[in-house]
Amino acid sequence: MNPITTPEWVLKVDGLGKVFGPFTDESIAKTGSDRGTSKDPATGSIVAAWDVSFEVAAGEALGVVGESGSGKSTVMRCIAGDQSTSVGSVFLRTIDGGNTNILNMSASARRQLRIDQIAVVYQDPAEGLDLRVTAGGNIAAPLTAAGLRNFGAIRHRASELLSRTEVPLNRMDDVVRSFSGGMRQRVQLAKALANRPPIVLLDEPTTGLDASVAAGVLDLIRGLLEEFGLAAVVVSHDFSVIEMLTTRCIVMNHGRVVESALTDQLLEDPHHPYSQKLVSAARS
Amino acid sequence: MGYAAARGGLDAIEAAEQLVRLKRMASPSAWVDRDQIVGRLRLAVDRVMGEGGVWDEDLAAVAIRQSEGDLIEAVHLLRSFRSTLPRFAYGTDVDADELRVIRRIVPAFRNPPGPQLLGRTSDYTSRLLELTDESLAREEAEKLQTQLWADQLDEDAPSTASQEHQQPRRLLETLRDMNLMVDRRRTDDPDPFDITRSPARPPAPRSARLSSMARAETGALVNQWYRNILGPDGYLHEVTLGEVRHGYLPVRVSHPITGNPVHVGDVRVTEVEAIEDLNGIDEDRDRFDVGYGLCFGHNEKKAIAMANLDIACHRDGGQTQVEQSLLLTTDGLDSSGFLEHLKLPHYVTFRSMMERKMAVRNAKQKSASDDKGTSK
Amino acid sequence: MTTLLSQLLDETVGDTSDVPFALLDEYSKREIRRAILTAVAVPGYQVPFGSREMPVARGWGSGGLQVTLGVVGPLDTIKVIDQGDDQGVNAVNLRRLIVSSTGIPETTVAAESTIVQTRHRIPEDGLDTEHILVLQVPVPEPLRGVERDMRELARMHAEADYSKMWVSLYEDKVRNGVITQSTGYPCLVNNRYVIATTPIPRWDIPKLDNAPFLSLFGAGREKRIYAVPPHTKVEPLTFDDVPFEVEQTSGATCFRCTSSSSFLVEIPGAVSRWVCSDTDWCERHEGGLK
Repeated sequence: MNPITTPEWVLKVDGLGKVFGPFTDESIAKTGSDRGTSKDPATGSIVAAWDVSFEVAAGEALGVVGESGSGKSTVMRCIAGDQSTSVGSVFLRTIDGGNTNILNMSASARRQLRIDQIAVVYQDPAEGLDLRVTAGGNIAAPLTAAGLRNFGAIRHRASELLSRTEVPLNRMDDVVRSFSGGMRQRVQLAKALANRPPIVLLDEPTTGLDASVAAGVLDLIRGLLEEFGLAAVVVSHDFSVIEMLTTRCIVMNHGRVVESALTDQLLEDPHHPYSQKLVSAARS
Repeated sequence: MGYAAARGGLDAIEAAEQLVRLKRMASPSAWVDRDQIVGRLRLAVDRVMGEGGVWDEDLAAVAIRQSEGDLIEAVHLLRSFRSTLPRFAYGTDVDADELRVIRRIVPAFRNPPGPQLLGRTSDYTSRLLELTDESLAREEAEKLQTQLWADQLDEDAPSTASQEHQQPRRLLETLRDMNLMVDRRRTDDPDPFDITRSPARPPAPRSARLSSMARAETGALVNQWYRNILGPDGYLHEVTLGEVRHGYLPVRVSHPITGNPVHVGDVRVTEVEAIEDLNGIDEDRDRFDVGYGLCFGHNEKKAIAMANLDIACHRDGGQTQVEQSLLLTTDGLDSSGFLEHLKLPHYVTFRSMMERKMAVRNAKQKSASDDKGTSK
Repeated sequence: MTTLLSQLLDETVGDTSDVPFALLDEYSKREIRRAILTAVAVPGYQVPFGSREMPVARGWGSGGLQVTLGVVGPLDTIKVIDQGDDQGVNAVNLRRLIVSSTGIPETTVAAESTIVQTRHRIPEDGLDTEHILVLQVPVPEPLRGVERDMRELARMHAEADYSKMWVSLYEDKVRNGVITQSTGYPCLVNNRYVIATTPIPRWDIPKLDNAPFLSLFGAGREKRIYAVPPHTKVEPLTFDDVPFEVEQTSGATCFRCTSSSSFLVEIPGAVSRWVCSDTDWCERHEGGLK
């Protein structure tokens, strides 16, 4: 598949692959969209993602669409560093001018990137937040990790971010466990933006939220992406999310990228049979 | 005044020591000889040797007597004594197949290879308190003693049983022949981790876990097993016991000149091999795995808990904190010492806490009055 | 004794009838000293060591005792205090153990000592470049309130990732208006490692910063030694704009020596009285500050 390239990427993913279990070239050949499975019949290993490549520029949002099991979340986790990768490269413009494959960095160096280079918004806010800590406290975490040591400044920045993500300020000192799902997601967004990272990865950011709540959060995300000029990767099975947030997207099936297109064009005229199936199911 | 006050503290301690010693030594009851403790309270002696990490029944008896039956105290005495002993040799590897059994059961099979030898166990005795008249009990004991010694029925005497009966083939070997066992036997022969020289911390090698458990406080280890099987901590699978053995193992050291192994004595141990049913997603479902437990003396609950926790730790693979619990919370001296240290004076820390209470109150009052001021 | 046994003993340990100087055998002392050297070389880093079973129970100073016995020499003079009190029963017990196994003199005056072993206090004065302060540590891990997994704790220290600690300080201040940590306040040593300052009161923390003396922290049960070398930066963790507060009760003075410039403890009653926790300091200042 040819990735559509854009000039001046901020994030570049090249030939990323993740296999659970031992594998050979055979394993790769026997799995994928054409084979209709991710599971290697010989070894039982799962080829969760293979040969995934794309680039994202600043101010741009790329969608990664697919059903569950397509490998889209795996790709996100590999970039985030939550999951180890089997093969491939990931480059960040802000790290060594984009010449260092961050997948070769040590685990501790990868963790450093999570402070102010790559932010992640998880489908389940409990994964990205400490529910026992207040909203402000959750934002204090990345701020202090970046070296901020002034209580007043931390409070100020946290309240700024919570305002921007439309969390009522009188709830800043409430523990996140007492928040509704939509509100928790807003806190997660505020936390993600705390250190102004160039890249943000969003994994099913509104799945599990009530439709009305989800709409508000999506609207917020769109506004934030524009305002902050972030390079974003949005993972979702939901085309309405992809449509609202992204300008380009890739479609994944059984771990492979089957199609890459401008979002509008994909929705109007999907080429790959699997994309067609997905789009028509979404339309109905 | 300064020195007198210091004397006061010393006087208090010395008086307390004298009182303890006096009460212990001058109790109105008869003096208890070491061999009475070894002979009549053998399981306490075995437990103390296991937790103390010292094989010496006599020393353990002295410790139990000196500690007036507080077994953790006795273990402390034994371990401190051990600290003073020089190490002048290291044992050669002990081959557990050389264990000469005086008890052996195999719950996993009705007719395993080799004998099932119930041996000396109270497992099936009725738990009825025997309230015989004291003098009658003593009479009976003396009568039996003469009889037993006359017939020379001594466990330590060379057995007339066959070699196969004394050193039965392990069930594990049979299961291996049937290709039912995962084989984790190592060929690299690494040195065992010495927990008396380095603190074991997770992730630790298996030898560190096993030796920590071998010296663990029996109740603590049993409790760890129980709360991981049934309790709030987690879910570990219960094993099926393959071997429970009680018997004698020979100990050897290298001769300083010839380098040949020389037999220097036997230790009596309890050994357990626990068969684990592998049923995890990433596991070999058509095979079993095994956990191992070994401790000084006759202490089956400890060895069984040890074997189950050994395999549980391996299967856990660091996902939970079961290894941390085993390594850090089962030592009797650590746990009871730290618990009892609460009796030491803590008035400096307490004063500091009280000051913070006042500070929090003041801060609340201040913010309440600030609010009042601003809301006008 | 068999010929083999006596031969082995002669060759390896020589005459075993002597009780070694300072209770511990040379191998144990060497191990403790190596741990101490590593600790001094990496200020604030918790060095694991093979903690021996001592005649005092775990939790009662076995670590501090091992450190003292590791550094003591025949020319030293020992002071031992508990809560600042030389007469504290545990201090008395430890002191007699040290003195009886070394033969060195003891004192209650810090300035006259060379080694001070202490539980929960730093002497108000008298420590300078000649001194080694040995602190008894119940729990050496400053992060245990925010993280329970030991592997994660090791990572946090290794990567200087103290964000969980900072969040807990933030939460504390937000919830309570002040930081409520009472004793054992976490401090950053040499801009690198966060340490548990044992349960010494906040009052004593400033004494650690850029001190002329060497501070050694011994945790026998947890089997760790750490150190603050002389003239090392020790900063209590707090926000730039939240002042570090020591224990103060306005109006409190020692009923014996009238001091308000020493750490005071309360004698509860219908009317509270206060007294110096550092008994030696109090005695030297009795009747008014000299």
